[in-house]
Amino acid sequence: MKEELLVRMVGISKSFGGLKALDRVNFELHRGEILGLVGDNGAGKSTLIKILTGAYLPDEGEIYIDGKQVFFREPKDAEKMGVAAIYQDLALIPTLDAPGNMFLGKELKKSFLGVGFKLLDRKGMMQETRKVLKQRLGMEISDLSRPVHVLSGGQQQGIAIARAVHAKVNILIMDEPTSALGTRGRQELFRLIDQLKEEAVSIIMISHNLVHIFEVSDRIVVLRNGQRVGDRVTSESNRKEIVHLIVGGENEE
Amino acid sequence: MRILSSMSREKRTKIGRLMEKAGPFAALVVLAIIFTAINPRFIYINNLINVIRQAAVYIILVVGMTFVITGAGIDLSIGSMIAVCTCIAGSLLQDFGLPLFPVILITLALGAFIGLINGLLVTRFFLPPFIATLGMMVTLRGIALIHSSGRIYHAFPAPLLYMGRGMIFGVFPAPIAIAFAIVFIGYILFKWTTFGQYCIAIGGHKEGARLSGINTYRYETLNYVLMGFLTAFSGIVLMGRIDSTQAIIGSNMEIHTIAAVIIGGTNLFGGRGTISGSVIGAVILAIIANGLILAGVSFFWQQVVTGLIIILAVALSIFRERHFYV
Repeated sequence: MKEELLVRMVGISKSFGGLKALDRVNFELHRGEILGLVGDNGAGKSTLIKILTGAYLPDEGEIYIDGKQVFFREPKDAEKMGVAAIYQDLALIPTLDAPGNMFLGKELKKSFLGVGFKLLDRKGMMQETRKVLKQRLGMEISDLSRPVHVLSGGQQQGIAIARAVHAKVNILIMDEPTSALGTRGRQELFRLIDQLKEEAVSIIMISHNLVHIFEVSDRIVVLRNGQRVGDRVTSESNRKEIVHLIVGGENEE
Repeated sequence: MRILSSMSREKRTKIGRLMEKAGPFAALVVLAIIFTAINPRFIYINNLINVIRQAAVYIILVVGMTFVITGAGIDLSIGSMIAVCTCIAGSLLQDFGLPLFPVILITLALGAFIGLINGLLVTRFFLPPFIATLGMMVTLRGIALIHSSGRIYHAFPAPLLYMGRGMIFGVFPAPIAIAFAIVFIGYILFKWTTFGQYCIAIGGHKEGARLSGINTYRYETLNYVLMGFLTAFSGIVLMGRIDSTQAIIGSNMEIHTIAAVIIGGTNLFGGRGTISGSVIGAVILAIIANGLILAGVSFFWQQVVTGLIIILAVALSIFRERHFYV
């Protein structure tokens, strides 16, 4: 049973100044599951996943991936262990173009004219970006060399997803992925999530939209005021129960 | 405005990009036409070569400043840095009689080192770049004055003078060749290496860059080191051109350099930059100085005209961003 636990976070606490964002939170993610992480604003959802992606250091607690303890000092460490995130504000560089964003930190290089040092393989990155967008997301954007801030919210999201998906990712975290999407975008997103599940990618999805959470997730974890207050199998629960846990009144632990 | 609102987003972005790319060059051409109309001697080859030769020192400087400003930083200390670097170089040449080549290397290293201090003040002490480099600007000027006690260094070795005044094969001015070599390298660095990409990323969305695994401290610091190195380099060319240096030189050079970068289209808030635009900006400023002299206008009016051009350039780029999305 332990082997099925891809991620285990134990006793995680994090404070910002006087504000306790997370209070001894335990969190598990099973291999191949889609987990919905829910809670009101300020419940600690974003903080928890930022600790998992190495963006924040926890004040207390341990993280285990595949049974082994890990210490993430920076996002690159988490990336190496197969953790990728699509943040709420997308963390895209608005002034860079789509290939630039997709390959940020992992640029493709090529030596020109047989000279010693390598320069950016812009053509290669452009082609690869176009390919990933088309094949994995069914998305076609006419001019990929424009800075991404001129693209629509859905297109920007597509690029953020393409970036996360293109890396070898085992654990994909999506923070409010549906907020910028219309109906069609959401359908594409859920189709992608199903596809990723088939590829054995485990997904943590944060959302305020419980309808979407119930549509997509296998399990739901509820945070409130920095503490874990609920853990339910989606098919055995309902919206009313989850809302109750989010808002308060029933405390499981 | 009604015409604008009937255009599609795609089309407006296209126009915006065209404005961004062609704007500074169009301004250059317009100014050249105006000044030629005022005094036809402006367009003589001799004069044009003169203009670019005057601009050479600033062309070297704007390459460095483009990196700094695109990375959402700024460097106000370069004027004082030139004074310190060139005075120490002058002293090494005149008082210690050191050969030219080692002196050049030491000067370049000194520039890079001062740049490193700037970079560390910003990334490790978390000082806003404006404050850090402002403090350095004042401090370095003091150091230059203390070191030289008001002396003028001069009578530099012939190879140094060649760098500033010489003509390659008798026709091509050496300082221009040097400046263009640096522009070429700077352009490759900016557009074709990860260094340039990360510079844009850090300036565009520093937190996003950090989350993508970029060592923002390292790349921000390197921007300032590069600026310091190029400042020292331009100081060497300057020494060669005027065959003298003293502790008070370089004042207002930082303002001139920053103005050129802005006129060239680089966004002061970072995230977007253009090396070629900055070079055009430097040439534009040189054209204004030259054109006004040929027009018989007082030297002090240059300042007024330059200031107005900066305001106009920024107003146009903001207009472009608001209505044409780029």
